[in-house]
Amino acid sequence: MLRLMLQKLRHKKWMNCCLLLGSILLIATVVSFPLYQTAAYDRMLQDEFRKYISTEGKWPTMASLLHSSQRDVGGGAITRAENLFSNMCADLGVTQKEIIYYYLLDPAAVSSAMGRDAVEGTSVQLGMRSNLPEHAEILSGEMYSDTGLAEDGSIEVVVSESALVEMNLLVGETLVFKDRRDVNGEEIRILIKGVFGQKERLDDYWQETPEEMTNVCLMNESLFRQMFTGENAGNYTITCRYCLLFEYSDIKASQVDRLIKRTDYLTGESSYRKIFKEPDYRQILETYVRKQDRIRATLMILQVPVLILLGAFLFMISGQMYEMERNEISVIKSRGSSGGQILRLYLYQSLFLTIVGGAVGIPLGAVFSRILGSASNFLEFDGNRTLEVTYTPQTWLYAAAAMLVTLLAIAIPAIRYSRVTIVHLKQQKALKKKRLWEKLFLDVILIGVSLYGYYNFRKNSGDLGSAVLRGESLDPLLYISSSLFILGMGLLFLRLQPYLVQLIYTVGKRFWKPASYASFMENAKNGRKQQFIMLFLIMTVALGMYHATVARTILRNAADNTEYLDGADVILKEVWVQKKDEHGNSLGEYIEPDFSKYASMEGAASYTKVVNETGAYFEKKEGDAVGRYSATVMGIHTKEFGGLTWVEGELNQKHYYEFLNELAVEQQGFLVSRNFQTILGYKQGDSITVQVDGAGSVTGKIVDFFDYWPGYAKTKTELNPDGTSSVIENYTVVTHYSLLFDQWGLRPYEVWISMKEGYDSQYVYDWIQSSDARVAKYINRGDDMRAALEDPLLQGTNGVLTMGFMVTILLCAVGYLIYWIMSIRAREMIFGVLRACGMHKGELIHMLLNEQIFSGVFTVLAGIGIGKLASKMFVPMLQQAYAATNQVLPMKLITETSDMMRLYLVIAGVMIVCFVVLILLLFKLNVTKALKLGEE
Amino acid sequence: MSEKNYVIEVKGVNRIFPVPGGEFQALKDINTAVPQGYLAILKGRSGSGKTTLMNIIGALDEPTSGTVSINGRPLAKMSDRQREDLRRREMGFVFQAVSLIPTMNAFQNVEFSMRLAGIRPGRERDKRVEECLSMVGLGNRARHMPAEMSGGEQQRIAIARAIAHRPRLILADEPTAELDSAMGAQVTMLFQEMTRKEGITILMTTHDVGLMDAGDMIIELEAGQQVHGDGEKE
Repeated sequence: MLRLMLQKLRHKKWMNCCLLLGSILLIATVVSFPLYQTAAYDRMLQDEFRKYISTEGKWPTMASLLHSSQRDVGGGAITRAENLFSNMCADLGVTQKEIIYYYLLDPAAVSSAMGRDAVEGTSVQLGMRSNLPEHAEILSGEMYSDTGLAEDGSIEVVVSESALVEMNLLVGETLVFKDRRDVNGEEIRILIKGVFGQKERLDDYWQETPEEMTNVCLMNESLFRQMFTGENAGNYTITCRYCLLFEYSDIKASQVDRLIKRTDYLTGESSYRKIFKEPDYRQILETYVRKQDRIRATLMILQVPVLILLGAFLFMISGQMYEMERNEISVIKSRGSSGGQILRLYLYQSLFLTIVGGAVGIPLGAVFSRILGSASNFLEFDGNRTLEVTYTPQTWLYAAAAMLVTLLAIAIPAIRYSRVTIVHLKQQKALKKKRLWEKLFLDVILIGVSLYGYYNFRKNSGDLGSAVLRGESLDPLLYISSSLFILGMGLLFLRLQPYLVQLIYTVGKRFWKPASYASFMENAKNGRKQQFIMLFLIMTVALGMYHATVARTILRNAADNTEYLDGADVILKEVWVQKKDEHGNSLGEYIEPDFSKYASMEGAASYTKVVNETGAYFEKKEGDAVGRYSATVMGIHTKEFGGLTWVEGELNQKHYYEFLNELAVEQQGFLVSRNFQTILGYKQGDSITVQVDGAGSVTGKIVDFFDYWPGYAKTKTELNPDGTSSVIENYTVVTHYSLLFDQWGLRPYEVWISMKEGYDSQYVYDWIQSSDARVAKYINRGDDMRAALEDPLLQGTNGVLTMGFMVTILLCAVGYLIYWIMSIRAREMIFGVLRACGMHKGELIHMLLNEQIFSGVFTVLAGIGIGKLASKMFVPMLQQAYAATNQVLPMKLITETSDMMRLYLVIAGVMIVCFVVLILLLFKLNVTKALKLGEE
Repeated sequence: MSEKNYVIEVKGVNRIFPVPGGEFQALKDINTAVPQGYLAILKGRSGSGKTTLMNIIGALDEPTSGTVSINGRPLAKMSDRQREDLRRREMGFVFQAVSLIPTMNAFQNVEFSMRLAGIRPGRERDKRVEECLSMVGLGNRARHMPAEMSGGEQQRIAIARAIAHRPRLILADEPTAELDSAMGAQVTMLFQEMTRKEGITILMTTHDVGLMDAGDMIIELEAGQQVHGDGEKE
């Protein structure tokens, strides 16, 4: 049997190569998803850690415990805590970087052995810090020796510079503890051996800096342990600080669960729970997990259509194989082979293909996921972004599932075919019937269902927004609706395609050359056979189109929105201090920070003062009652402001500069947001009085209403405790800086800056450092844009969509090729006959080209059309599901020509390759041989 | 040879196929000529080289040496294109196996050879198709697909197709192999009729001894060599 199978493999190597390719791709793709996800999560986790470092300036993965050991007889408490810490890394499953033990005896008074008065009675904490010599630099004197004892038996200690100054010590001086004795009752003498500082500025060992150690004298670790801990601990009170630093860079996403669980155990359940403070990394992990949950669900949903396509592909190929081998099977069958034997034969074959597929596919999956990781946009790659790929149990699970599906997809059709005898076959061949889906009107049903979903979502589009606020993932139904829509439209096209071809045939009936005629006939009669591959092609192209639009739209809208909301390249607001009287009561006046320093900012192209009072309000009479509305008041220098801000022309009814000009000519003019008009009924020329508590009121005349203004969001959406969201109108008044200054006096202002090309956020950061500005508010558009674009959800979406497209287009190419090769093979004899009848090779090619146009080109065009339609309908809703809560700008459907060009190029490439292969095949066709085929 | 109008002239044709470990001479020095309007029968056991000779005469294959002329024009001097044109306009083929185009019905199959021959569409052409179909006795099955017909019926359609564009020469490779003897006789009679009525020259191969008498001349091959029939029947 095995030999028979190998023989069969060799004999049908073409077919089996295709099947093998299919199974390799399926397995590789399936495996690549968990691989990619794991890698992307790892990266995301690292990003969180790094973010912590950049904002907090501290080592992110650190656990520390502070406890005071009082009269701890036997020293068990310290030993237990040390055991806990030295085993903690193993327990958490992380790599230890450093454990710092920092023990201090409670302060005790000393006197100088030389009798120096300045030291008399100074309170000193004698202690030790593990591994101090490695991390400290001796500024003067020496480090304590290995024994820790001086020749005269006094304890050698080192002190920080601040301690030296604070306690007024001298290097080389000996101090004597007044009341404290060692266990033998001897007096304790300490020798100031040296002064230490940090060896390196950015050493995480220094969780407590030398500057803080103002009354600390540090001695040799082992000597300290010998004298004050263990059996002796009962005599002293020791403040113990245990600190564990572990590597964050090798923490994998898969470890997070365990890390959280164990940490929670330590802080919540262990015997240390009362003193174990929740470490900072717990919060980092929490944030990460929340993000990950959202991404996981979304990516999962996006993958489903691709996986279904893959499975369908294998089914199709194996179906083709059986179709081709039908004759053989039925002949074997008629000669007395049992169905079971045939089944076994095919089972062996599929087992072989699956195993080889797995052996190649699983490593290939890693390559795929690396490609995925470097996707920076749809079908756009950035080689610098690398992803480290690791296999996890999840990967193997996926691989096993994929292999099982492969096995079944190849083997299952055998059951059906093993029952067919040659007699059935001949009978079946004579029939041409409609497919089941056509009879069931599956296309119409699918379209109906998806349209129902579409209208439902559109009606409740507000709910989508609040779902986003609640942090939910993309609603699967929404995405499924769009996929179903594409599928349904694809099927509808398949239903219509034969009529379309028929129509073309009828229109030009009198003009068709024999070659065209033959291809029309071929399509009319055999067109149905290719429906599967055509559907595959439509789905690939339409989904590709749709996904490109989704990816681009989401990304661009996020970027545009950020750009708009930030208002300017850089916005800085310094800390303003109020003037105080001699009793410390604030006078309501501010001290203006030095404004002239902005002149030193070389990177700034221009800058201007902007008052931005968010706590203003105004009143409006409504019948008898008076309504009070909170508002934002903005005071600007129109010319300067206009020079460094911009609002896209199409957003407002007027050009942005027209608004500025209108304001410029009216000294008491107010530019107000549109909702003053639409909701409150104000008209141009009306006057409004806005107030700020503690500053006074300003009255002005409305010169115009704007819809969009730099940084202006029309509404704010807030999440209520009950899970619903409410929309709050944002009333904004823009007026002259000078008007506000006249009425309100000097108020804290922001400085809006436009940057020159090439000055990045690091430059601004450095400038702030060097200018000693104390910053209360800082917005950097460049940073925000980068953050928006590097959002892992967007990145992951791009990756999955790109990957999905590449895999399906590859499968499409393979499937298409297989279909055509087999179609040519099956028709070799006919081609022979046609050639014998005098048809030129060129005519045969023409014929094939026609057939390709009917099946391939039509299908691709239909796919493009369906993709465009689906994008128009579903992308706006999908985008909403991705949109940040602060999406302000109207959603724009983005289809970039370059994306489409890439898509078309890939498709065209595939079609051309297919066609060239077919032509080569056709040229190899030997007429006499082909004719002989018929003699068998 | 006399001053007769020969449609097929074969002179000193050899055909050698390379086979693993040597060569195989399928045809050895074949010389024959078939005059116009003759029904010539190419006879021999299977493997005797009948089909090879047919293919060479039909310009589907080329002789290793020797010349073949059709209507006095040597094939070797024609371009591929000219040979293809020759095939589509002046020749009709009937193959041993069923050779209809499965996606076209009987009418369309017959019509197709006329399309290939460049005959303009119109009532004329339709009439000719029907005429050919009736000639093979299948006028009532014009709308049937090949799969819906028996092997014999399909073969008759193939014959109708071969004659529809009024070729000057029909090459029929074992046209009766798939038919029962009555049907075979019927096909042979059809061929005879055509040579007489339309002046078509027909070269057919067969190993059916019962049909030999129907031919105007017999060429017999044995292991690639001509044993009989370089001329007309006595």
